[in-house]
Amino acid sequence: MIARRLRMMLALGLLTLAGCSAPKVAVQGTFPVPLVNPYPIHVGWHLDSALTSYVHKEKIDRGGEWVISVGAVQQSMFDSLSKGMFKGYTFLDSWESSAPVQLIFVPSIEQLQFSTPKQTRSKYFEVWIKYKFELRNPDGTSRGEFPLTAYGKAHIQNYSMNTNSAALQEAANAACRDAMAFFALQFRTLGPVKAWLDQNGLGS
Amino acid sequence: MSRHLRSMLAFAALLYLGGCVTARVEEIREGHTTISGGDAIAVLGKRDRPSATETEFDFVECVSRNMGSEVPVIAERTFRDTLFPWFEPRTAPANTRDLPELIGHPMFVERLNSIGVKYLIWIEGSTRRTDSAGTMSCTVSPAGGGCFGFLTWENDSEYEASIWDIKEGHTVGKVSSEAVGTSYMPALIVPVPIIARVKNSACSSLANQLTTFLTDAS
Repeated sequence: MIARRLRMMLALGLLTLAGCSAPKVAVQGTFPVPLVNPYPIHVGWHLDSALTSYVHKEKIDRGGEWVISVGAVQQSMFDSLSKGMFKGYTFLDSWESSAPVQLIFVPSIEQLQFSTPKQTRSKYFEVWIKYKFELRNPDGTSRGEFPLTAYGKAHIQNYSMNTNSAALQEAANAACRDAMAFFALQFRTLGPVKAWLDQNGLGS
Repeated sequence: MSRHLRSMLAFAALLYLGGCVTARVEEIREGHTTISGGDAIAVLGKRDRPSATETEFDFVECVSRNMGSEVPVIAERTFRDTLFPWFEPRTAPANTRDLPELIGHPMFVERLNSIGVKYLIWIEGSTRRTDSAGTMSCTVSPAGGGCFGFLTWENDSEYEASIWDIKEGHTVGKVSSEAVGTSYMPALIVPVPIIARVKNSACSSLANQLTTFLTDAS
């Protein structure tokens, strides 16, 4: 009888500890196509392996190692973005390509940061993603670069089961959507992009 | 009736009664509203920036669910995806003054017409614990376990819904719902929660009033 109760208490303790382990989350799913007037251009995207396999790992004091993986959805993001924004698009293995594109984007993630409710004494998980976009001509020569900082947050109260992982994942997902929204609506104002659009009579 | 059965019935009655909740609803009408065949509404929670607060998903879903039996409701996530990126936290219109710019985009209007949304309902607010008292201690040992003590807490739900006529680009009214309730948890070996369903009460009141507001032709 006592041994049975001890086994039950041990099982309860293990379950509790499992819920306290540091989250490992990966952004998943598909993204919506932006509802904007498409630009009459054919663009190329070069997504290198550093971007498509991007994983952020961070040790938090008394919190273990937290892992956020956003690389796997990058192609899906830029695929959806391009479907709505451009007349045509191609994913390129290299920025020096013979594909019939007018402009090439080479995005990369410079930094990813996150905060937990415990750290900020709030009820939100927050994720920031800092992108850098290189703009290149079809022959691979550089036309400049521009930054893009995206932000996402998730209220912990909205996720009752497995709270940390689900909320952190949603904050990262929200940051990815925010990056897409910014790119879609601010496209023509982005320095090197504006210069190219003006040069090719597409500035208005 | 056996003693055991009487105890269980008393316990069930306590749970059924729950804590006490007082609720109040107010409405301000600024324009005419009609819902005809093919018209739908979208219920959204305020998540725009730079506001640091968000309306809880479960409250917005509760209002959508309760209204959905009377008027066609587009789910929040579906609405945001269908009109992406115009209703993201970064880009969502903060007030009706921003609507004319949106309505000026033919693609936006076409997509809006395809889903039939006529009214947008923005809900902002929250449920907060405003007071608590009491203590409870629980022990677990190989010989058994139990709790002893008494806890009480008060929750306050305050929400306001703004109704926008998205095609005309103006506000047609506001409905606010406030609910306050006190919950109790006495414990003598087994804790007995007597929960005041404050958020549910605020949701039901708000949903009912919004439905009346939209379907009342006055």
